[in-house]
Amino acid sequence: MVLRDEVLDTADLGDPDPPGAEIFDAVVRALVAYNETIPGLDLTLHDAITRRLAWGDEESVVLADASTVCDRLIASAQRAFREPADEMLVTELAAEVSCSAARIVAMAAVGRAARERAARLREELGQRRLNEALERQKAEAKRLEISAADFGRTLEGF
Amino acid sequence: MTRLTIRAHGKTHTGNVREANEDSLLMDPKLGLYGVLDGMGGHSAGDVASQRARDAIHEYVAARHQSMAPRDLLTAALNAASAAVHSEAKRRRDRQGMGTTAVVCLVIDDKHVVIAHVGDSRAYMLRDRRLHQLTEDHTVVAELIANGAISAEEALHHPYKSVLSRNLGAKPATKVDLTEVTLQPGERIMLCSDGLNGYASAEAVEQIVAGSEDAEQSTVDLIEIALRGGGGDNVSVVVLEAGKQVVPRSTLIIQTTGADAWWRRRSLFMGACRERGLARSPICAVLSPEEALEIVAGNLCEAIYHDLEQNSGINVWTYAENLAKGWFDQGGDFRPLRDMLDLLGSAAAAVIADIASGGQQFSVALEISITRSLTTIEMVVGGLLAERLRGIEAALVKLHARAPTQQPVTDHPTIPYMQAVSIEAPAPNVAACIDQAIPLALVSVQDQGEKAGARECLEYAANSSFDATHGNDAVLAARELFGMRALEEAGIGPLLDAADQARRAHIEALNQLDHPAKVRAGAVRLVALAHKRLFLAISQLVVDAGAPISDELHRASERTSQLRQQVAQGERKLAKMEKKFVTLVDREPTDISGTSRHK
Repeated sequence: MVLRDEVLDTADLGDPDPPGAEIFDAVVRALVAYNETIPGLDLTLHDAITRRLAWGDEESVVLADASTVCDRLIASAQRAFREPADEMLVTELAAEVSCSAARIVAMAAVGRAARERAARLREELGQRRLNEALERQKAEAKRLEISAADFGRTLEGF
Repeated sequence: MTRLTIRAHGKTHTGNVREANEDSLLMDPKLGLYGVLDGMGGHSAGDVASQRARDAIHEYVAARHQSMAPRDLLTAALNAASAAVHSEAKRRRDRQGMGTTAVVCLVIDDKHVVIAHVGDSRAYMLRDRRLHQLTEDHTVVAELIANGAISAEEALHHPYKSVLSRNLGAKPATKVDLTEVTLQPGERIMLCSDGLNGYASAEAVEQIVAGSEDAEQSTVDLIEIALRGGGGDNVSVVVLEAGKQVVPRSTLIIQTTGADAWWRRRSLFMGACRERGLARSPICAVLSPEEALEIVAGNLCEAIYHDLEQNSGINVWTYAENLAKGWFDQGGDFRPLRDMLDLLGSAAAAVIADIASGGQQFSVALEISITRSLTTIEMVVGGLLAERLRGIEAALVKLHARAPTQQPVTDHPTIPYMQAVSIEAPAPNVAACIDQAIPLALVSVQDQGEKAGARECLEYAANSSFDATHGNDAVLAARELFGMRALEEAGIGPLLDAADQARRAHIEALNQLDHPAKVRAGAVRLVALAHKRLFLAISQLVVDAGAPISDELHRASERTSQLRQQVAQGERKLAKMEKKFVTLVDREPTDISGTSRHK
């Protein structure tokens, strides 16, 4: 937890959970689970990043946070751990978690692109229908003009 | 009762739109009783209501002013008026529902007045040249705001913003609000109907009440500004002034000699404007040079003259409003208006300099008065700009609410709040360690069935680990790996898997080497950072690849919205055409046989 304050600047910011905290906490979880489980998708990390994206944080910002937390954690581990083996473990897991976070962001972007493609197709379909409606309106207006001409009058142009 | 020396003047006007005046004034200096009543109700019932209420209040106060305390007296008088109007409304069918507002002021002793009101006619007090509203409107919207149900901004466009929650006549008795005020000499009380505050800005009203020499002039000016603002309702004003205001001698001089001196230099002012290029202003683009001078400079000269004469600000105010509003409504920018105002100010300064050079003693006072006029223009322009900004803000809020791809707000501070760390270049033994790990890692990748790009990732990481600067090389490498992939899971997934595999293989290879732990730790650090950079660069490219799709969707949404508006407009036009056509058919004369005479 000492490293947590140092890496995330929690003391300076006064915020116990600043952005990037989800990366650090995921590294801690990975350390706890190391050799006890096959590394796979960390659902807590996935939820945290998805929530940040849903709340409006831009993808590039989330990626930059992940990168900076990883760099600072690796630098802190180099200074803090006496045993090189411990340092290597933290380094490896920090890189692993950062890349997992980046993967989550990338796949979220892929999903969003698919949804937007579908939405665009729906918009084009809607535009087609609206254009047809406009054509029908023009035809109707023309018909009224012709009928009014029979009375020797004109209606206001369409 | 001992009374302040109070001078009061009242004026009422039908307005520019209404056919009858349903307002009534109550003025009894002997009793110290003054009031404004605004009637409502169809078929001329409104003027009946306000007059009936006025007479009832006057009668009640006159009969009982010596035997009742002022607050109770006014409360009872207004309730008596309410009963009278209510009774009259019940008596005649065509007067059902009639009612009236009332704001009444009673002078009670040498310092105090008490004000009673029901409805949305208002009382203000002028103190220290600022106008303070003393009463709160009894409208449905005001009560909703007081209860926190809506905000003041929502109230401006509320469908019930003009509906009263209380008036005289709706019931036999009603709740009356009372306000007691302590007056100092020179202070003013203004009573008015909503025909004033609905058509004149608060700034203009304050300027007039504070700036007018006497109460009578201020009532004239207030009616005038309400009429110039549209005059869509009856307007009534009563202004009471406590004590006698001493008119400074300099003011009297300005009103006579000063105004005259200004007017005699009219041609000097126009010449100064001509020299400074008034006709070349974009605002005067549609006018000939002579017209520009006559209309723009000539009207300002006249407005200043009248204001000097009357010790008022209303003429310059109206001039500035017409000039600035007309320009902004045409879509004009602020810059040409600013330049024109500077030009007119400079021309006015030339006239003042000429007056001062003649050794006239009042030139300093005249300069102050004219500067005040120019400041009035600035205030008007500022008010119009603020109104435009409010309009733009409201439009932006609407647009934001409608935008299909709105950007939500982030509520966390983020990058760059954390400081970056610097990575050192590898020591020779660390570099050697990294060098030896590459072949092992390549073998591992091939053993696991080389996934597309894993080899390239390893090569990048190996090269990048030696370079402490590692500028944009990660981005370049990522672009080469990304290539022309489709933005789908099937296209992106394998690339990310390959990068992951490369990183794990590389670190595992380093762990297998027979180097001191510290050296390997250094190597692992550099390699891990290199792979992390590459992976994040690939992810960023994936994110960037989605941007054109977002843009296309946004454009498509805008186009759909435009088409919807066109269809809606088309429907309205079509409806009008059909209505006209039906009218044509109905009007067509037919002969006896019933057939139409048209071709």
